[in-house]
Amino acid sequence: MKKTSTVEKSNKWVMVLLILGLSTIIFPLYMTVVIAFKQPSEMTNSISGILSLPKVWSLNNFREAMEVTDFWNSLKNSLLISVLTVGLSVLIHSLMGYTLGRNKSSKFYNFVYLFIVSGMFVPFAILMMPLAKQTAEMGLANWFGVILLYVVFYMPMNIMLYSGYLTNIPMALEEAARVDGASTWRTYWQIIFPIMRPMHATVAVITALAVWNDVMTPLIIMAGSAENTLPLAQLNFQSQFGTNYNLAFASYLLSLIPILIFYLICQKQILNGVVNGAVK
Amino acid sequence: MSKHENERKRTFMLITIPILALFICFNTIPLIRGALYSFTNSRGFGSYDWVGLRNYIDLFSDARVGKSYLFTIKLALVTTVVVNVLSLIMALGLNSKIRAKGFFRGAYFLPNILGSLVVGYIFNYFFTYIIPALADMTGIRALGSSILSNPSKAWIGVMIVCAWQAIAMNTIIYISGLQTVPEDVYEAGGLDGATGWKQFKHLTFPLIIPFFSINMVLCVKNFLMVFDQIVALTKGGPAQSTESISYLIYNNGMAGGQFGFQSANAVVFFILIVVFSVAQMKFSSSKEEQL
Amino acid sequence: MKRKGLKGLTAVLCCAAVATVVQGCGSSSDGRIEIEIVQYKMEAANYFKTVEEEFNATHDDIHLTISSPNDATTILKTRFIRENYPDIIGIGGDINYSYFVDADILADVSGYEGMKDINEGYLEIAEALELVPVDGTYIIPYVANAAGVLYNRDMFEEHGWQIPETWDEMLALCDQIQAEGILPFYFGFKDTWTCLAPWNAMAVELAPADTTKQVNKGTTTFTKEYKELAEKYMELLPYGPDDPFAYGYNDACTAFARGESAMYTIGSYATPQILSVNPDMKIDSFVMPASDDKNDRTLNSGIDLGFCVMEDCKNKEAAYEVLDFLYADENIQKYIDDQNAVPCKKGNFTLSSMLDGMTEFIQSGNMTDYQDHYYPSEMSVDALLQTLLLEKDEDAFLRTFDTNWQRYNRDIIRMVQDYEAAHGNTN
Repeated sequence: MKKTSTVEKSNKWVMVLLILGLSTIIFPLYMTVVIAFKQPSEMTNSISGILSLPKVWSLNNFREAMEVTDFWNSLKNSLLISVLTVGLSVLIHSLMGYTLGRNKSSKFYNFVYLFIVSGMFVPFAILMMPLAKQTAEMGLANWFGVILLYVVFYMPMNIMLYSGYLTNIPMALEEAARVDGASTWRTYWQIIFPIMRPMHATVAVITALAVWNDVMTPLIIMAGSAENTLPLAQLNFQSQFGTNYNLAFASYLLSLIPILIFYLICQKQILNGVVNGAVK
Repeated sequence: MSKHENERKRTFMLITIPILALFICFNTIPLIRGALYSFTNSRGFGSYDWVGLRNYIDLFSDARVGKSYLFTIKLALVTTVVVNVLSLIMALGLNSKIRAKGFFRGAYFLPNILGSLVVGYIFNYFFTYIIPALADMTGIRALGSSILSNPSKAWIGVMIVCAWQAIAMNTIIYISGLQTVPEDVYEAGGLDGATGWKQFKHLTFPLIIPFFSINMVLCVKNFLMVFDQIVALTKGGPAQSTESISYLIYNNGMAGGQFGFQSANAVVFFILIVVFSVAQMKFSSSKEEQL
Repeated sequence: MKRKGLKGLTAVLCCAAVATVVQGCGSSSDGRIEIEIVQYKMEAANYFKTVEEEFNATHDDIHLTISSPNDATTILKTRFIRENYPDIIGIGGDINYSYFVDADILADVSGYEGMKDINEGYLEIAEALELVPVDGTYIIPYVANAAGVLYNRDMFEEHGWQIPETWDEMLALCDQIQAEGILPFYFGFKDTWTCLAPWNAMAVELAPADTTKQVNKGTTTFTKEYKELAEKYMELLPYGPDDPFAYGYNDACTAFARGESAMYTIGSYATPQILSVNPDMKIDSFVMPASDDKNDRTLNSGIDLGFCVMEDCKNKEAAYEVLDFLYADENIQKYIDDQNAVPCKKGNFTLSSMLDGMTEFIQSGNMTDYQDHYYPSEMSVDALLQTLLLEKDEDAFLRTFDTNWQRYNRDIIRMVQDYEAAHGNTN
């Protein structure tokens, strides 16, 4: 009895905190939406001016932003790259994370782990030129090259996440399957892979987000291929001497939608903790 | 049993080799090729000369580089602490039984998706116009002018934006960590009368230490390599007080003509964070073993 | 699960391999010669789109592609390293051009017919940008920009303010404007690059045009040449907003457009952004007077866009044909109407009314290139200027300028001095 009352009390405080925190998100979002609907001539430097509602609610900015960015085409490229990267990452990184996470006692695998994880800290600027050259030499100066690079770039972080997750998954599960005569490969795909679902969702969200917003990699790898991703196309709104914030904001709001939907789907998975059931 | 062991070892090796090869091909080899430029005076294209260790010697006598290291490390340390404390609180909050959980989780994710042009514009506006106006109204003189225009305070502005954007991701990782804590641990704890802070300290936290260390490493990585927020907010100003290391490497190496010198900077920087992070990982894995 | 995963992977890899091969052969088209231009003025993307369409509609033998990407310099550099050269590049006359010439990747275009129609003033400016003098010409200047002071024409007419011609008149005007309760200048110094605009505009009168070259030769120092400039620059600060470092370029453009200040020290490139906020605004410009003698005045103007043919370009004849089209009078006129630019070609062009105050300088060819076109971008002179304005310590600024210059230009200085040693006597 006593336990429930403290839980309720602390929940009230949690709620208050969460709502307070929310205001730091609602306010910028409000500004983004309002600016996305305004015309450049409505932009001022006064607070009342920037916070006021647009004179006319029209979708013209969105229409124009879609035209400038060649929206559907860029969206297609962005989706293609993001979906394939996420898919390959979940398959490859989980497998590698499993291999490294289950061999922590081995010197070799420990070294491989540290070797790969330290790849996370390579400043991208030092890789840019060599990668631009290397991908071109290998005939990979296209979207597939970009995907391959992403799979490599996010490998360190994802492997760290997967192998961290594995520490809380008991070995007993695999040993039971092994006694039944299943191979390691099969045990992995039948037992471990499904159990890591919350981590798959986490990895998918983090990877998708990073890929979705990334400008640099496609910029240097696909330069001159006439294909654009959404963030690349959005660069068209800014130049040193003039930025059309209204169109840009409309465009950013549009490109926010797919990734937000993806996150909402994934976050359900993050929370459907399969582990709890499995451990019992 | 040993047959099984062999099968297991072979499988692991067969998994490791191709993936490791891929990694070496697109990470290690370009890194080495890039590092070779650090011994040249290359501008990134065209012909260049070998200059031996000149770039490295210059690096240690360059006041601008030194300043950028100090700024970056200060920013990273403070932001890491702020982000981890806040996101752990958030994760516990969002993981508890509250109303509209899905809505909150969705909303708190937004800062991550807004492009850096949008974030830069909004926060610039916030720091330049809104905060000083609020300060005027409330009479707080200290906040009367934009913190982004003050060389000794601008880093705080950058810190706020970094934290604002990073909290969501760290929270997600903590939440997924909290999912691995079995309910029965709490039940057992509840019987012993462990609640609130005590429950967290003795039951929850030890179980999510792997996630804590992941978050620490990710924070250190993200904040030591801070770039987007600098471009969006200050472009290194005012008075070069917010030039992060990555910003300097990109801006002078890629956009400017200092490719060789900044490659040397990148190599030194890389070694520095690797040492730092490996030490940190070793430390937290020894903690894990203790528990 | 295992099978599925593997099959999926294989399928993806196969698809990708096929796609790569297809893309590899995709570029050869229907027998027309392909000419590709990458140009860096993103603002003019629409203009170049039209040019591309018109060219392709009227030419059967050549197919032209023009791209105007953001961050074109990075794109160009990465493409150079991949040895995937476009045929023609459109760049500004700044230090990057100097580097490109030095890297021997540009073709000598002195044989191009259209070269004789280019204003000699701009050819000299281009010549001066070469790190050490080289034979031949490597850029065909297209349009120039001009920097000085933009002013609100209606406001000036209403109050009867006169355009200043000397430094003292300039300060007197500022005092007068301020006395009437109006802010003389708006500054957007939060964006460090804008610190260079007034600096450049004043430098053309107060420092020799070849200051940087003389420093490289070792005949002078910045401490000597820039002292007056630095002092005068700081005198402008009290006429701006209280905390100019809080506002960026965009804030300043908006404020000027909204009539919050009478003048704005920036280049002609800012007018489209200002007009987007206030399309009815009447803007004019004048040459920044920095000297006490009004005859010292000269227009701060440099090559904003010029075209270079790459050494690697297979078909120079076709490239020249494309250039003929680009440099046709009606196309240049369209460009300058669109961008308020100054043509680098001789002839009768109609200039934007925003350049009224500068026309006499343009017509008489009295112009001097931007000092910052010689500054290496990695030295971040803009940030040094911001520091100067913040900390108001000109001695420290000049000292840093000199030491940093030696540090960032070491290789160039050595090159120049080697050249001097070899050619010194003939000069």
